[in-house]
Amino acid sequence: MSLKLGQKTTVEALTVELVEPTLLKLGGTLSTPTAQAEFRKLLLDLHANVVSARAQLFSVDVRELEFVNSSAIRAFVDWISRASHAGYKLAFTTNPAITWHRLSFSVLKSLAADTVELIEDRSPRVESGKPA
Amino acid sequence: MNREGAGDERTLRIARRYDAVDDARRFAEKAVSSCTPECREAVRLAVCELGENLIKYAEQNDATEAGTIGVSIDGPVVRVRAVNRVSSPSDAERVAEIVTQISRSGDGVRELYRARLIQLFQNPTLPRAQLGLLRMVFEGGFRLSCTFHAPELQILAERACGHHA
Repeated sequence: MSLKLGQKTTVEALTVELVEPTLLKLGGTLSTPTAQAEFRKLLLDLHANVVSARAQLFSVDVRELEFVNSSAIRAFVDWISRASHAGYKLAFTTNPAITWHRLSFSVLKSLAADTVELIEDRSPRVESGKPA
Repeated sequence: MNREGAGDERTLRIARRYDAVDDARRFAEKAVSSCTPECREAVRLAVCELGENLIKYAEQNDATEAGTIGVSIDGPVVRVRAVNRVSSPSDAERVAEIVTQISRSGDGVRELYRARLIQLFQNPTLPRAQLGLLRMVFEGGFRLSCTFHAPELQILAERACGHHA
């Protein structure tokens, strides 16, 4: 999966869009080995780009990412570890109405509090994952 | 095999191929379609994690099936049951130990989950994430139990079930 700025890409039920050079938007579900492999590769590429650009902050909007399996949680752990070593911050915008966002992202933040920033979007939604 | 409480269980045979997790997810969504979004989310998590474990760790033999996943709603309780054949009693014992550790953690499951994430954070080369059962309890609110009657291993996950009015 190669990302072009502003172009939405789909891998099975996972949608990915690099909205800005330092803003990634994720949506849908991530549960199959194919999507997992693409997702891990995508995160490695993004990390390399962030380091190369010497960006201090990279934002990830996961509000529309409804479901992930444990392999994706591990991919987030690995990304946080790499960001922590490289010295840039990851800011996740989450939807607290989704249980795994509410519970797992707070634990992910506790792994590296100086690296991870959480922004909980509590705005009302007209349907799952879509802002009102 | 203890099938107590199986009731009107819907069962899916999990094929030994990776996209079978998607079959399991669709099966789960149908089985609990009348439940609240929170309950559906929890069951989807359980079925996907247990299904993936079946495919990864089921006994290596010529069978085309990795095991079965069952979902039942019994009044205020929803149950997800995974059954598979294991190669050796030691494999089953290892799973039983993990289930026991998680079950005994009670309200401390968040700390157990966090401890595992710290291990992964500090050791990126660890071969297995082993987060599935932890997430089922921490995020899904399930209680876990495990029984082994050679060669069949059963993991049972139960939680309160909310129904739509």
